[in-house]
Parts: sequence; structure tokens; C-alpha cells
Amino acid sequence: MTLTTQVVPPPAGRLRVQAAEAAPRVHRAGPLTVIGLTVAAILSVFPLYWMVIIASRTNASAYEWPPALLPGGNLGENVRRVLDNSDAAILKGIVNSFVAAGTITISTVLFSSIAGFAFAKLRFRGRNALLIAILLTMMIPVQLNIVPLYRLMIELDWLNDIKAVTIPFLISGFGIFLMRQYTLQSVPDELIEAARVDGCSTWRIFRHVVAPALRPAAAVLGLLTFMQYWNEFFWPFIVLADPSNPTVQVSLRTLNSAYHQDLAQIFAGTLIATLPLAVIFVLFFRQIIRGIMEGAVKG
Amino acid sequence: MRRTTRWARVAVFAAAGALALAACGGDEDPSGAQETDDSTTDEDDDGGESTEPITLTIDVFGEQGFGYEALYEQYMAEHPNVTIEERGAGLGLGDYNERLVQQITAGSGAGDIVALEEGTIIQFYAQTDKFVNLADYGANELQGNFLPWKWGQGAPGGFVLGLGTDVGSMAMCYRSDLLGAAGLPTDREELASQWQSWEDFIATGEEFVAADTGMAYLDAATNVYNSILMQVAGNGSGHTYYNTDNTLDLDNPDIKTAWDLTIDMIEKGLSAGLNSFSDEWNAGFAQGTFATIACPAWMTGVIAGAAGDAAAGVWDVTDAPGDGGNWGGSFLAVTAESEHPEEAAELVKFLTSAEAHVTAFEALGNLPSSPQALEDPAVLEATNEYFNNAPTGQIFGAGAADLQPVYLGPQNNAIRTAYEDALRSVEQGERTPDEAWEDARRNAEGIG
Amino acid sequence: MSIDLNAPAAPRGGPTTPPGRGDPGRSQRMKTRLAKLDIRVSPYLYVAPFFVLFAIFGLYPTVYTIWLSFTDTSPLNPTTNFVGLDNYATLIGDPNFWNSVFNTLGMFLLATVPQLLLALVLANWLNRKLRGIHFFRAAIAIPIVTSTAVVALVFGLSFFARDFGLANGLLELVGVDRIDWRAERWSSWLSIATMVDWRWTGYNALIYLAAMQAISADLYEAAEIDGASRARQFWQITVPLLRPTIIFTVIISTIYGLQLFTEPLMFTSGSGALGGGSLGQFQTVTMFVVEAMRAHQRWGYAATAGLVLLLLIVVVAAINFALVRRLGSER
Repeated sequence: MTLTTQVVPPPAGRLRVQAAEAAPRVHRAGPLTVIGLTVAAILSVFPLYWMVIIASRTNASAYEWPPALLPGGNLGENVRRVLDNSDAAILKGIVNSFVAAGTITISTVLFSSIAGFAFAKLRFRGRNALLIAILLTMMIPVQLNIVPLYRLMIELDWLNDIKAVTIPFLISGFGIFLMRQYTLQSVPDELIEAARVDGCSTWRIFRHVVAPALRPAAAVLGLLTFMQYWNEFFWPFIVLADPSNPTVQVSLRTLNSAYHQDLAQIFAGTLIATLPLAVIFVLFFRQIIRGIMEGAVKG
Repeated sequence: MRRTTRWARVAVFAAAGALALAACGGDEDPSGAQETDDSTTDEDDDGGESTEPITLTIDVFGEQGFGYEALYEQYMAEHPNVTIEERGAGLGLGDYNERLVQQITAGSGAGDIVALEEGTIIQFYAQTDKFVNLADYGANELQGNFLPWKWGQGAPGGFVLGLGTDVGSMAMCYRSDLLGAAGLPTDREELASQWQSWEDFIATGEEFVAADTGMAYLDAATNVYNSILMQVAGNGSGHTYYNTDNTLDLDNPDIKTAWDLTIDMIEKGLSAGLNSFSDEWNAGFAQGTFATIACPAWMTGVIAGAAGDAAAGVWDVTDAPGDGGNWGGSFLAVTAESEHPEEAAELVKFLTSAEAHVTAFEALGNLPSSPQALEDPAVLEATNEYFNNAPTGQIFGAGAADLQPVYLGPQNNAIRTAYEDALRSVEQGERTPDEAWEDARRNAEGIG
Repeated sequence: MSIDLNAPAAPRGGPTTPPGRGDPGRSQRMKTRLAKLDIRVSPYLYVAPFFVLFAIFGLYPTVYTIWLSFTDTSPLNPTTNFVGLDNYATLIGDPNFWNSVFNTLGMFLLATVPQLLLALVLANWLNRKLRGIHFFRAAIAIPIVTSTAVVALVFGLSFFARDFGLANGLLELVGVDRIDWRAERWSSWLSIATMVDWRWTGYNALIYLAAMQAISADLYEAAEIDGASRARQFWQITVPLLRPTIIFTVIISTIYGLQLFTEPLMFTSGSGALGGGSLGQFQTVTMFVVEAMRAHQRWGYAATAGLVLLLLIVVVAAINFALVRRLGSER
């Protein structure tokens, strides 16, 4: 993308973010603002809290009015029932999701960095055309190609195999754009020029000059990618029809499609499915926020 | 901080990798269905037979499966080299079918044995190459073990695609407490004589509504519609949306008859308007949101499961209005992709034998499709404790042998959904009956 | 930029001879040739993996889809026939298809416009001096850890259930009749839009916040001195400078919003979920495609619908891009 902001060009990389975070916020928060933020915070958190409440109670609680607002003591039992529910196979789902999302993440970060670097700092014919091509590929919805992709999976014999939800997604256009953006912002041309003059090959430039500077963006792209593929539902739903080899989101669907609905069990399942991401969120919160903010500022 | 991030991330993925290796290396996951491919471990043979240990996977659907647990035990005891893995119990029919069609079409992913509901098996008449012809394994000798029309449904053109498990038959399940609260009789015989025809049933419903108990008379118009249609078609044209040559017959007067009766019920406010097999429908059993529900034999298992122990004894069964009627019922088939077709065929023959039918009936209430089983005292004299000791054997079984077959066409499920949607739109007050009728026709023509 | 990054390292002051090497001139030329090759070829090598992957899993299936759209392929058909433009003609005349387009666009607008506006406002608030601002940021961002399936379950099963849902309970509390959320278009759209908004507003708010923080404080101070109200500052300074970021979020939201599938699908529990309601009140185009494929076994037709969806996405994204660009500059 060729858009740039029209503000004072900020200093590169980490320094820039620190400057942004330290930028004096001109206005103090008025009471209206505080109220607004509080309401927003409550609305954001409440559904998750509600999930915990129901997951820790019984099915009947979900239908109570007035609703129960405090967690109960059944969490352990509900979780156990979910884990024992062999049709949902939620443990297998979690493992599969870890493997798939993890593989995709590592691959995406690696190849997006390399390609992003190429688009940002290397000049070559057709660069802009290829960039636009990538943008166009991002517009192709997954749903468009389900039939031929499905047939392809049959031919490759990847049906009901984790490969089907992993290999087609190993590099993402979004990742390339993100890394390109970050490289543009945070790696000064002078550094690369100097390396060239010193006789470095392109690969060495990437490895020693660019890659270290990309670490924060790589971390964030990694986190976002992992989250995205952990939460991916549609394609796994189509292609992993064998109930004993699901990803975690497909397990949830199975949990929900049984004849006999037990909301407490279902929500215990969603809790289990969300927990790894929540843990990552809490651990890496500052990085995530920083990365979202950094990655998108330039648009 | 950055370094920590990167190392932490590496640690997370390393842990994930270790987990993955652990999980993929050993088969610790209890839910992992063992594909027949990995059954090459040679264990010590019992007895003198040189049969290798194999695992057979059987795909079923429905809240409690098909009630075969005891049968599996028995079979495995008699055939020590065979391990039976059942998948799918707890899965709704809709999801199960979608998966199954995908798997069969792809030729990969289905079990050795698959359950085919009566509406589904029709779809596969065009794909018999994906299944084993059970006639190759002596199925033809068993023809007398099944109701003639059931056999016919499972063996199109002589190709024995599936052997019959249960038939639906038809009754009416009701909550005696809710009917009683509305001043209506709660005794089975009284009710049965009170609603001899569907019009009588509706009249009873009007009384119920007039009593204003706050509950609905029946669960969903769609369930009643399907029941009436199968009954009327069975006694009338013998088919629903398709002629027996697979051309569409949407002008079939039986459809309109069932439709009109159902619309009458909706307009008189008898329906709770639920979406069958949805969460709220399930909740409705336990919460007591509706008083009656059209009840094929397999529905008794669903009700017991959904309503739970708290409602034991409050539910009861009696004869349905009208004459006969059959909704549902399944078959067991062996897939062509199976690596052990012979053993699978043996298991299928076992599971669909008269004795097995009786066992399944005792376990879940599914009505046998075998004439011998239907005459077995264990069936004829059976009562269902959950349903207030109703003589379910009599209610469902008597007359089961006289059930009339109804021909369902290839896209029966999709077209039925179209009509169900149309009815629901009337229930929701979004469409007039005439508009909805046109909607259903139009959509059905588009599908068929 | 006057520095040519792509020029190979020019040997300084003529060919030099590093001590101990063989034929110095030849080795130098070899190096230069390799270096030139490296410069010319390596960008393509670096970019290639993406395109290779795309060619296999993106391009080939898309071409196949285009072919499929001209046939009547179906697992129920033993033979496949070429039907030319029949599928397209049927699609154009199919009211269910246009219904799904209408739903998709409507839900997209309902979900995206308030969401981005709300995100702007939230970002503005988060841009203030306040103790514990980090807590607010975290709370507002946390919905992103949930998956769409989870959101659909919590909201669909629990909040917007007809008989026992929280939403209806609240309505009754204030004396309003219960609503069957799935019965009508507006109510189902509202429910689904709520789900989407809940999940993404915080994320977009953070994006806007970052862009806001890059705006120099001097601009605001100058405006303050000139007597501009906070509201005016917001519209005259903040929003125009945020334009590129807004464009970015609009494009991404468009691409995502027009492909909406999981939330409306899981809004129905029970059978017939792909139909999106008894009258298709909330069936999106993606659901239409998948319904044609899985419930109706019409693969050729599904391919046709999918292609038209792609066209829709491109067109709408382009329109949005143009709109937002113009809006910004008018201010």
C-alpha cells in the first residue's frame, strides 16, 4: 500500500513506540469519559464472565431468571464431563489446534518477514504489481473454493488430516503487508546501504541487519496469527469431518450439536477452548497491544 | 523484554511441539477412533483360529446411539479378535448426515459400518458403488427377517445396500401433568379414544388452549406435519414429494392434507413454535413447555434423555390420531472403503438379527423392523418405565407389521426442510399460510 | 531517495587485490557477477514462496471453481454435464440468492458502521490521561481472544435465546414484550451485528488509538489556544489525520464482513442452520454457497454463487476505499 500518514515522521522502531506512549495526552479524562470507558469495559468483559458463571454451574442455571451472577462450584465436574465426551474429542482438538496454529505461525512469520523485506527494501521489476496481486488474493473468500479445495484434499489424501488445515495457510498476504510496513518504518535505508557497501549478499543483509530489527513485529505477527488459526472454524469444519480428529473449534460445534444440550457442559467446553488464548493474552498483553498499534498506524 | 517475548514464544511452541509428539506418538487419547489401517499389531491368538485382531468402526447418530452397547459386548465376547468402536453417539442427524455424505462421496473417512436413516439411504441409491453389496455375504437369505417394505427400502434393485434396524411407527407422547392441569383426561385409553382423528386431536388442543395454562399444546408444527404426512402418504399415494420414478410430485394431495391440518393447528395457537432438535426444544422437555409431541418409537429415547430423571413418570404414551404412520427408521450398511468387508458384513447381520432388534428395543425403545422380533413376547409385552409403564410394545408394535411403506425421493431431506421452514415462518407470524405454501413449492422446485 | 540499495558494492578505487588470493581480477568479476545475480534474483526468490503456495491452493482451485460454475456437478449425478451460463442465469433469477446478498450487505453495514464509529469514540477516550488506563485497554481488548464459535454460542444460546435468554429477560424487566430474535430480519441482524461488534470494536479502537497517539500534541495545543472546543478538535484534527488508518480498518472490515459465516450459522441451533432462518432472514451469501453445496448437493451452482461473492467483495471494497478517501478530504 502506498498510503502514508501525514503526521510528523516518527523515529524508527522501538523508539517511536516509546515516544508515542510517552506523548503527553493533552486532555485529562472527564467524568463522562470515565463512565463511558467503564461501561465499555463491563460490556466487553461480561460475556466472558457469563461464560464462566454458566460453566461453573448446572444447565438449569442458564435458564434462571433473575440470572445467577456469581460462579458456582461445578466447574470441575463440567470440565471433566467435557473432557470425557469422546465424541467432541476436545483434548484432541486442542492438540491439533496447537500443532496446526503453531506450524502456521512459525511459517508465516518466517516467510512474511522475508517477503516483506523484499517488498520494502529491494527494488525489482513488477514490485508494485505483485503487491497489488497479493492484496487481491486476500479478497478471495475461503468459501469460494471449498469444492475444488475439498477435491484437492481428496487427491492429496489429506481429508480428515491436520495437514489440510495447515499447509494451505502457511504464508499469509496480511503478514507480508504487516512486515513490509514495519520494515519500511523501522529499518533505515542507510543501514542496508552500508551493508551493501560492505559486500553483504541480500540474504546476509536480511539475516543480520533486518531480522533483528523485526523482532517485535515478528512477535506480534506470530501472536495474531496463532490466535487467528486457533479460532479458525469454517475450513476445519468442512474438511475435518471425522469427529475424532478435530480442531478445537470443530469440537465445540460437535459439543453443541448433540441431541441433548447441556449449556453448562458447552460453556465448560468454550472455556477450555478459550483458555490457552486467554493465557497468552495475559502474558503477552503489552506486546499484543503494542503490536496492533504499531502494525496498523501507517495503514 | 523483546528477548523474553521471543524466548517465551519459542517456549510455548516447543511445549506445543512436545505435546503434539506425545499425543501423536501414543494412542492415549480415549476418543481417537482407530482406523482400520492401524490394526496390524499381531496379538496372541485365542483358540486355534488364525484370524488377525481387527477393529471395526461403526458410525451412528442420535442422543444415545442405537442402543447397541450390550450387543457389542456380546459380539466381542463371541469374536475375540474383533474390537468394535462406535462413533457418533450424541451427534444430531443433520450434522451426521452432512458429514456422512461428504465422507461417502469422497470415499474416505467413514467407518466400516454406517447407519443410514430412511431419508438418507435414498440419496445413496445413485452411489451404490460406494457400498458393499451385502448380498455378496449372504444377506439375501435374511430377507424373511425383515418387514417386506423395509427390505425393499434397503435393497434397491436387488443390491442389498443396508439391512434394517428399526422402524419409527407412530404414537403420541404427552405430559400427563400438563394435560391434567388443563382439565383434560390423562389416561391412555381415554385419550386414544378422544383423539381418533386429527380433527379430534385439534379439538382437544383447543380445549387445552382455552384452559390457559400458559403452556403450549404441542412442541412444533413441523413435527406434527411430518408425522401426518407419513401417515397419510402411507395410507394414500405411497409417496411424499417424489414419484417412485424420482420425478417431483409437489401436487401430491397428501402433502396438502398434512399441510392444511398443520396450518389449522398453528392458527389455533396450539404450537410452541420451537425448532425441533434445537436447544430450546430440548430444554422444553425438561421445562415442560409443551404437552404433546408426535412420537415415533425412537423419540421415546430422545425424550427420556432430554427430560432427564426429574420428569420420569410424568411423560406417557398413547396411540396417535389417525391410522398407522411411520416416521424414521434406519439401516446399517458397509462402506466400500472398509478394509474388512466380510467381518463388517457379519457384524451387520448380527446387529440386525431378530434377537438384536429385541435387545435394542429393550435398551432404547427403537421398534424392530423384524417380524419375528415384533412377535416376540419381550416386545409385545414390553412396558416403558420412564413413560409411566406404558405398554409401548403394544402401542408401537401392534400394527407395525401392517405399516405401509412411503417412497421418499433423492432430495427428500432438503425438500422437507423447505416445507418445514415455510411452516415455521407461519408459526413466527411472518407469512400467511398461502404465501408460505408458495414459498415451499418454489424452493422445493429449485432444489429438486 | 538518492541511495541505490540495489547497486552491488562497487569496488573502491579500482580492482584491489586482497592478499593471498588467486587471480584477483577474475575473482573480483566473479564476485560482482554473483552479487549482481543476487540483487536481481533474490527478491523474486523471497517473494516466490507465497505465490507458489497461492498457485496451488488459491489459483488452481479458483480456476477449477470457474470451470465448476459452468457445469452441473453434483454427487447425486453420476455424470457431469457442461451447462454453459445456465447456473449464472439461474442465480440471477434466484430470489434466495438476492435475499442472501441483501442480508450480507445489511448485516455488514449494521455491524461495521456503528462498530468503527464506536471504536473512534473509544479510542478518543482511551487517549486521555487517566490512572488505570491500561486496565481499560485490556478490558476493551479482551474479546479478541474468543473465537467466533465461542461468541456465537454465548450470544446465540444464552443471550438471544427466545424463551430463556438474558436479552428477553431484560426486555421483560422494562416492560417490553419478548422478541423472537430469529423470526425477523431486523432482530436477527441486530443480534448477529451485536456479536460481531462485541468482538471487534476493541481491536479497532486500539488501532485508532495508536494512530491518535502519533499525532503531535502541538496541533491540539494550538487549536486550544484558538478556542476550539474538544469536539471541534476531534473532527478537525483527529479524524482527518486518521484517514489512512480508517481506510485500513474499513477495507479489512469489508473483506471480513462480507464473508460473514460462522456467527449467522451458529445463531440457529437445531436442524437447517444453513438456511439462515425460516425465511432466510439472516442467510449470508457464504451460507447460501455452503447450503447449495452441502444441503442441496449442487456443486456447480455453489461455485457460481461463490464467484459472484468474490466479485461483490472486490466491488464493495473498492467503493468503500473511494468513499472513505473522499469523506476525509471533505472535512
